[in-house]
Amino acid sequence: MTLFQEYITYWSEDYTSILSYMYEHIIIALTVITLSVLFTVPLAIFMTKMKNELVKTIIFNIANVFQTIPTIALLAIVIPLLGIGFVPAVVALFLYSLLPLLRNTYAGMNSVDSEIIEAAKGMGYGTVQRLFKIELPVALPYVMSGIRVSSVYIISWTTLAALIGAGGLGDLILAGIGYNDTFMIFTGTFIAIIIAILLDVILGKVEKVIAYS
Amino acid sequence: MMTFRKLFLVGFVLLLTIVAGCGDKTSADGGQVFTAASAKNTDSKINVQLLKLLVEDRTDHEIDIVEDLPASPQIFAGFERDEFDFASLFSGEVYNNYFDDVEYSTDPDKTLKQAQKFFGEEYDIKWYDPLGYVNNYSIAAKRKFLQKNDVNTLTELGEYADSLTLGTDNAWIERDNDGYKGFKKTYGYEFDDARGMDVALMYEGIDTGELDVVTVYTVDPQLKEYDLKVLEDTKNFFPPYEASLVAANDVIDEYGEINDILQSLVDVVSTEEMTNLIYQVDIEKREVMEVAKEFLQEKGMLD
Repeated sequence: MTLFQEYITYWSEDYTSILSYMYEHIIIALTVITLSVLFTVPLAIFMTKMKNELVKTIIFNIANVFQTIPTIALLAIVIPLLGIGFVPAVVALFLYSLLPLLRNTYAGMNSVDSEIIEAAKGMGYGTVQRLFKIELPVALPYVMSGIRVSSVYIISWTTLAALIGAGGLGDLILAGIGYNDTFMIFTGTFIAIIIAILLDVILGKVEKVIAYS
Repeated sequence: MMTFRKLFLVGFVLLLTIVAGCGDKTSADGGQVFTAASAKNTDSKINVQLLKLLVEDRTDHEIDIVEDLPASPQIFAGFERDEFDFASLFSGEVYNNYFDDVEYSTDPDKTLKQAQKFFGEEYDIKWYDPLGYVNNYSIAAKRKFLQKNDVNTLTELGEYADSLTLGTDNAWIERDNDGYKGFKKTYGYEFDDARGMDVALMYEGIDTGELDVVTVYTVDPQLKEYDLKVLEDTKNFFPPYEASLVAANDVIDEYGEINDILQSLVDVVSTEEMTNLIYQVDIEKREVMEVAKEFLQEKGMLD
């Protein structure tokens, strides 16, 4: 039997569990992405309006700290507080995703040319109007690229959810490592890559739709 | 510009030194430097340390230890690439999806014979007789829960399985013969929920009450720490896990003195002694090296 045929057999025998790992993975990752975009993007926009440099530095440093805690330590801290499974996994990954998203959005918003803002002021635009009519549309490509990069990270980080019993493709990969089964490792990795690529494509389309509207 | 070129040169030389350092090494006493591999479990770390201490005491050779490898497949991969010379491994691994024609058995002697034959031929290694202790895989639960419901065996546990959550390592759920699938077949029941996770975090989970039953190794000191009790495997489902030291054939063929040392480590540690050693490392946080040295001194194998 060729390797390819063996691999097909593996799928036909195990597809229910493979699909359920994939489903768990997507649910966890999408929840994290949604929550962190909803939290971080407004925060970053708010921060660009902030005059107080100290508060900004503090916020960035907090996000930085979460990013630098070793994963296994963060998971161990989360367990006594939130238990095991879905909720602690989402919380841990959410904390990890803060920094890249915050930095990218902040940098995107800051990239808006100050002359454009001045011109808008001169034309009598109010703060809110300026934000939605000028700044956000100009910063959109940067903000979206931040969201896209972070989403790809999150898809890959979600494999860590398997360490605290939340399942996902990490379960398949770790099972393959322990059970000496390269098909499992390959499948878990491959599907995670596919999800990340698809999500990136979808977000790219979303960006275009928003930009033209 | 000059400084940049200097910097580049220094970096290049450093890199070369590092790369050169990766080749064959000579020990301080003019012997060889070997590499011994151990997985994450503490007993394996102790076993390779015993070997290291004796080899460095009795010969001119040295042993570097590579610890915390995720699981046995990575150790065998290292033997295949000639990166490892020694390791500590369990007989029950022979059922871990390596060979198609191996016959599943829960008999310790048959399992050992099969491990020695199959792994020995496949990876050109010598699988010594066990160090003496048994480290079986099994299922444990909180002692309080078991006493309250008067449960002592895995058969009796079945009555409560509908309401119990099982925590286990990520691989056990997927394993065929000796994993969850086989367990369900043998005992005829399944738990309300079964979750794979990191083993260290699994104990946190049962401590906080998130989990009700966990898969454990019978020498785990956490059993004592968290007041857990191993359930009796009435249907003889779990395969025997006896630890052995393993060596690459070309090494022991050339260095007979090392072969003698490996032979002398057969049947020296009882299950009780090993549980005690692991307890000192994991719970009392002592160094593996110290604990292993003390043990060898007690046995009169080291001065």
